[in-house]
Amino acid sequence: MLHFRKNQNNIMMKKITKYICLALLTPVFFSCTDLEIEGTDSIINTEGFIGVADIQGEVSNLSNTIAGGNLGNQDGLYALNEVSTDEYVVATRGTDWGDNGRWLAIHRHTWDAELQDVVLAWQRLNSVIINATRILDEKSTNTSGGDVTELKAQASFYRAWAVHWVLDMWRQVPFRDPNLPNSAIPEVFTGQAAIDFIVADLNDAIAGLPSVSVGDAIDLKSSPTKASARHLLAKVHLNKHVYLGTTADAADMQVVIDAVDAIAAEGYSLAVSGDFFDIFSPSNDEETIWWSPAGVGPRIWPTLHYNLNHPDNTGGGWNGFATLSEFYQLFEGDPDTNYVGDGQEERRGWVPDATTANSDNLGIGYGFLIGQQYEEDGTPLNARDNVGGVPLVFTKEVTKAEYTAPADNAVLETDGTRMFKYHPNDTGGPNRTHVVKYRYADAYLMKAEAMFRMGSDPLTMINDLRAIRGASALATVTESDLLAERGREMYAEGLRRQDLIRFGQYTRAWNLKEAGNPDLQIFPIPLADALGNPNLVQNPGY
Amino acid sequence: MKFKLMKQLLFLSSLLFSSILLAQTVTGTVTDSNGPLPGVTIIEKGTTKGVTTDFDGNYSIDVGADAVLVFSFIGYASQEMSVNGQNVINIQLAEDASELDEVVVIGYGTTTVKDATGSVASVTSEDFNKGLISSPEQLIQGKTAGVQITASSGEPGAGISLRIRGTGSVRGDNSPLFVVDGVPVSNESVSASGADVGVGTSGSKNPLNFLNPNDIESMSILKDASATAIYGSRGANGVVVITTKSGKSGGSKGQFNFSSNLTTSSPQNTYDLLNSQEFIERGGADLGGSTDWQDYIFRAAFSSDSNLSYAMNYGSGNVRATFGYTNQEGVIENTELERITGRLNLNQRLFNDKLKIGFQGTISGINDQAPFVSRTSGSTGDLLAAAYYSNPTLNADPDFNTAPDRNPANLLAYYDDNTNTTRFLGNLSLDYALTNEFSAKLSLGLDNSTSSRAQVTGPQILSLGNGAENNGRAALSNLDANSKLLELTFNYKKEFENSKLDALVGYSYQDFNRKGENILGQGFNSTSLSEIANILEDAYNSTNGLASNYQAYGVGVFQDTGLDEFRILSLTPSLNQTTATLPIIPIDALAVDTFDNTDELQSFFGRVNYTIADKYLFTATLRADGSSKFGPENQYGYFPSAAFAWKLSEEEFVGDTFSTLKLRLNWGITGNQDGLGYGNFAERTRWLNSDPAISTALDITPNSELTEPASSTVAFENPDLKWEQTTQYGFGIDFGLDNNRFKGNIDFYRKETSDILLNLQPLQGATFPFTFKNVDAVIVNQGIELGLEYDIIRSDDFTWNANFNIAYNKNELTDFNEAPINAGNLYGQGLTGATTQVLVGGKSLFTYRLREVDENLNVADNATILDKSGLPDITTGFSTSASYKNWDASLFFSGQFGHYVYNNTDNALFASPQIGSRNNRKSVVDNGVTLSSTNPSTFFLEKGDFVRLQSASVSYNLPLKADGVLKNLRFSLSGQNLFLITGYNGLDPEVSTSNIPTNGLPSASIDYLSYPRPRTFTLGINATF
Repeated sequence: MLHFRKNQNNIMMKKITKYICLALLTPVFFSCTDLEIEGTDSIINTEGFIGVADIQGEVSNLSNTIAGGNLGNQDGLYALNEVSTDEYVVATRGTDWGDNGRWLAIHRHTWDAELQDVVLAWQRLNSVIINATRILDEKSTNTSGGDVTELKAQASFYRAWAVHWVLDMWRQVPFRDPNLPNSAIPEVFTGQAAIDFIVADLNDAIAGLPSVSVGDAIDLKSSPTKASARHLLAKVHLNKHVYLGTTADAADMQVVIDAVDAIAAEGYSLAVSGDFFDIFSPSNDEETIWWSPAGVGPRIWPTLHYNLNHPDNTGGGWNGFATLSEFYQLFEGDPDTNYVGDGQEERRGWVPDATTANSDNLGIGYGFLIGQQYEEDGTPLNARDNVGGVPLVFTKEVTKAEYTAPADNAVLETDGTRMFKYHPNDTGGPNRTHVVKYRYADAYLMKAEAMFRMGSDPLTMINDLRAIRGASALATVTESDLLAERGREMYAEGLRRQDLIRFGQYTRAWNLKEAGNPDLQIFPIPLADALGNPNLVQNPGY
Repeated sequence: MKFKLMKQLLFLSSLLFSSILLAQTVTGTVTDSNGPLPGVTIIEKGTTKGVTTDFDGNYSIDVGADAVLVFSFIGYASQEMSVNGQNVINIQLAEDASELDEVVVIGYGTTTVKDATGSVASVTSEDFNKGLISSPEQLIQGKTAGVQITASSGEPGAGISLRIRGTGSVRGDNSPLFVVDGVPVSNESVSASGADVGVGTSGSKNPLNFLNPNDIESMSILKDASATAIYGSRGANGVVVITTKSGKSGGSKGQFNFSSNLTTSSPQNTYDLLNSQEFIERGGADLGGSTDWQDYIFRAAFSSDSNLSYAMNYGSGNVRATFGYTNQEGVIENTELERITGRLNLNQRLFNDKLKIGFQGTISGINDQAPFVSRTSGSTGDLLAAAYYSNPTLNADPDFNTAPDRNPANLLAYYDDNTNTTRFLGNLSLDYALTNEFSAKLSLGLDNSTSSRAQVTGPQILSLGNGAENNGRAALSNLDANSKLLELTFNYKKEFENSKLDALVGYSYQDFNRKGENILGQGFNSTSLSEIANILEDAYNSTNGLASNYQAYGVGVFQDTGLDEFRILSLTPSLNQTTATLPIIPIDALAVDTFDNTDELQSFFGRVNYTIADKYLFTATLRADGSSKFGPENQYGYFPSAAFAWKLSEEEFVGDTFSTLKLRLNWGITGNQDGLGYGNFAERTRWLNSDPAISTALDITPNSELTEPASSTVAFENPDLKWEQTTQYGFGIDFGLDNNRFKGNIDFYRKETSDILLNLQPLQGATFPFTFKNVDAVIVNQGIELGLEYDIIRSDDFTWNANFNIAYNKNELTDFNEAPINAGNLYGQGLTGATTQVLVGGKSLFTYRLREVDENLNVADNATILDKSGLPDITTGFSTSASYKNWDASLFFSGQFGHYVYNNTDNALFASPQIGSRNNRKSVVDNGVTLSSTNPSTFFLEKGDFVRLQSASVSYNLPLKADGVLKNLRFSLSGQNLFLITGYNGLDPEVSTSNIPTNGLPSASIDYLSYPRPRTFTLGINATF
């Protein structure tokens, strides 16, 4: 009996074993895998470049990249073109704004190839170039929406914009062919080849982009248009002789004039008197040619003091950027204050005082903030308690660059005149995303300068502009008048470095900066590329 | 000792009382100190004939009269017995009679300390660290030479950095592979990382938190390549094999064990901040109130930990079930870790013991609450920074705006962060003896976790700057991580006349799927934090079914159109965005993004162990690993190893001086692919935000608008990616004197890691700022490890032993021809973008590059590469324990030496004697030292050497009646982190910031607002019945 059961057990056991083995082996064979990943949350391509997956989405990516991060905020591109000039200095305040010495290095022109602003601006600009190149490749045909020709024309404009900045700041433009493997060494465009590259892109852009005239909805101007492409065409030709190391060529200047005239032909004109600061609000105006959906916060908070009114920003201003007194004094009017009636023109803005502060301006001025500052109810503001709560009086001069002793705190807290164009209480508030990139006054001044460089007298043009802005007429226009006029009109719009270089003023000494050599007009190639790409040659002096 | 003597007496008596000789059938009962022992293997020596004991420990075997029986059972000392004609042999086996017979679990098998060819250290439950233990690594901290274990902070459940024999990779992850009951566990965090609601990045949680430390039987640390190469591509950082307790020693009647611990913790150290009066005296602004902000956010925390287990060994198998509950409070308010774990371990033998079925499964639920604490907070800081800098003359009013600074009371009151994680890890194995020599084993493993994190900032929050103020902002992050394992191994064991062969071949397949959603919402019509989380969840639940087949969707006003839309972003059939009917949701903006990706690993492996004359031991292994993280050209990596050990003590020429003397030589190649991420070899396109720091497709602006959706590649692909390889050479000696009363080991090793996988800035133009590349350079780690153990006193009533280990490791990057890469980012006011460390050839990893400070406190303008690094050269541990009658006591010290710590906290908050609206350290203010610059400099670089009394404990075993219900009752009192000897000026030099990468590189030894490490006291009770 017992034996029998044992035998049966054995038979059963053998059967079970057999089934188990089969069951076990089946998954083994099925699970032998080719180890290929599947596109469960992304589109995966291992075939080499086959065109971008969606042209519309990729063009939006270009626009977002230009609006975001180091191309859109106060760092990177903006810092290198503003803080490196006589428009802004960022002194340390206590430990704030120390940031490893980077703001002072930019102002003093003591940067090196590792400065994060240099590296990040370079990376982001170059990513726009390669991403646009991929869109422009003939293999790219798919789009989830929009018109392919127009989208590609937008990509041409964005690429031209990015190449222009790389050329302007580094003079060498890496170019990667998306059809080659990523391990390939990118070739490098310089000088005329780079300019030709930009001009070809802009011609494609002008051909493919819509004509958006002055009266069209402001929303249409956040995308590239014929006018924005022409604006960049003018800009590139105006600066071309700098990039080539030659003198201004009349034919190039004529390109500038023709491009600006074509913009004017679409109705763009100077904003009427009294509307200067409205240009920077999101409503439509006569001047805005191209704006970027970048937050205006980085154009407001870096310069405003902690205790100034700060709607929708419970943290308050960042008390960093201040302008230099010599820049402030380019304007007419009382050199020590900027209240209403101080003889200033419209562009210098004004500071509300006990009588003019109200719930509309919140006590925050426009343009240049100097002297005693006020609360919106007219109460004079004080600085923070840590400096004994002294009256919040912005000085004309920035006297110190860096905190070195406890007594410096009070000085640094209120040192320097604050300068900005985007009022936090405009439509959309301080969190609006509307940064003006190109506007007609810039085009207008480019034309005046082109005329000047061709030997014509731009006096009428300059005085017409000044009359609109409420400034007195000039008797003559010299080279330095032109530069000064550009400063007065275009301050804090990211153009000062380019202007100073074109007028040969970038290397001179100014407050908290010594005179430097011409090598500093060009930034160093970031180390990873300088070492890794033999087609790039580190710029002189680095 | 006592037991051993008794056992020998019993054995002798059994010999004496056996009177029948020359019998052919031998029967008997095998027992241990608890009674009959089922499942013991009895083999006739020199044959394959064998039986096992039944439920009552009885056995019966037919043998020749001159046979020798070998009684063996895992966890017990084997005994040999000559039959000599007896037909009844009763025997009592002793647990762990000799530590040299101690079983060491290695990859795909076990060995003994005596027979190990590689450098393998095993720590068993008796030697585990005691006190408040929230994760398994803490159990073995300081126990083994060459293993550096650093908790990243004092936060319950915080990540732990574990380095075996130095740092071999230049990526975030240098963790060893953890294998739990045969299932290799992914090192990736299983708790949802979460969106940034304005806090900054917090350190990842420890992925091993789900294991109940009380369930762990032993942890084997495989250090050298000959031991780890069986795990091939995952072995380069060492392997830790965790074995959980089985029911084997539960006895045939079953046994319950209950333990409970109560712990109180408080910060071990706090800053010497000025109180309100001192602050005013030194010129600070008097705002009329008085608050000790450290006191306000810190607390005496209470924790409890209870475990109930049942174990039974019923002969043909055994079972152990446990239930554990832990509630651990952190020393900062709003910090809590609650864990419920259940475990079931089953082992069953069937078909005359030919088939062994094993199941080990654990399920755990972890609820985790975190405060507003971040490692990357900027100028206004997190809760800790705010508490350190806040004016002590403020009152603790959560609604008081302290702009531009943050108000700690506000951050405590209006931020909530809860994570719930459920994880199941199970392993089913079937081991079948096809013949006496040949067996096959199938293992199926499943590791499944579901995690959900809700981070809420109420509309009352101040100074966040991202739109949370007045609107409320919340993020829900869901992560499902699922890994399946299938392993099939064949084992062949054969004893020849003078040699033994043990060969293994196997196949392994494991996949790793991670999927989930990141949900962000802003604009809540509620001020209740829990309600906000529910509103967001409802908004998600009411919309996620309205779209299908999407990568992302958003409901709200889109920035590009200014229209209120429901926009759906899909990838298939082609990338497109569509709009659908706008659902009504109770929030202003909702952004949802999903991810779902799977990686696979397929491996073939083999190992041969060959032993000649029980003196010469040879091991060779080979593993071929294929990974879906690499392109078709480089998918497979081959990882061989070889080892040789020579038991010199078995040689006659050595004599009797040494009870143990063994030489070990080994070599092997292992690989590493951790931290590489998904699909970096291929071009991948997704809907993506333009800010590379935000990984979701849609973001919500401070104006509560959704950003314009864009698509782009998400990596700059590198089809040439291949395995990072580590070649390791090792040489070691094990020795024992005086019958192993004094024993130790010394090991020398050299590890060379080549084809280093680095996340570099690609040559421009590149579609993405970083790309993984194999860099032609070598990281060399070489060092010496020494472990010593001495039984100082061994008497019946009194035992005392001491254990010391020390390891020296030298790390250097050689043949590196790329541009030096800056790393070691600092955070805090005035430090944005500042780096302190650099990756440069000819130096250690984590070498500092800083401005030097001269004796007049002038800070140099430019940074210099220093000969100082964040890696310790020497790690050491010393423990001693004594027992006297029913009392036990132990002490454990650990130390690290030779590294430098950058005091980021001092630099950011206490850089100079500023005083006014922000508080400062009394020592800093009264010192009057003013630097010429507060930029990062060597002024804030300090030696990190420390010795810590990690734990001390006393326990008492209550004497019990032998026949009582209670078999064992033990009380214990232990303290952790009792004192710290260090010259470091901050709170604690033991910091880890390795999970905060800069430029794709990790950092080390940067101290910034670490969650304070607590000092704890634990009262425990442990009862067996």
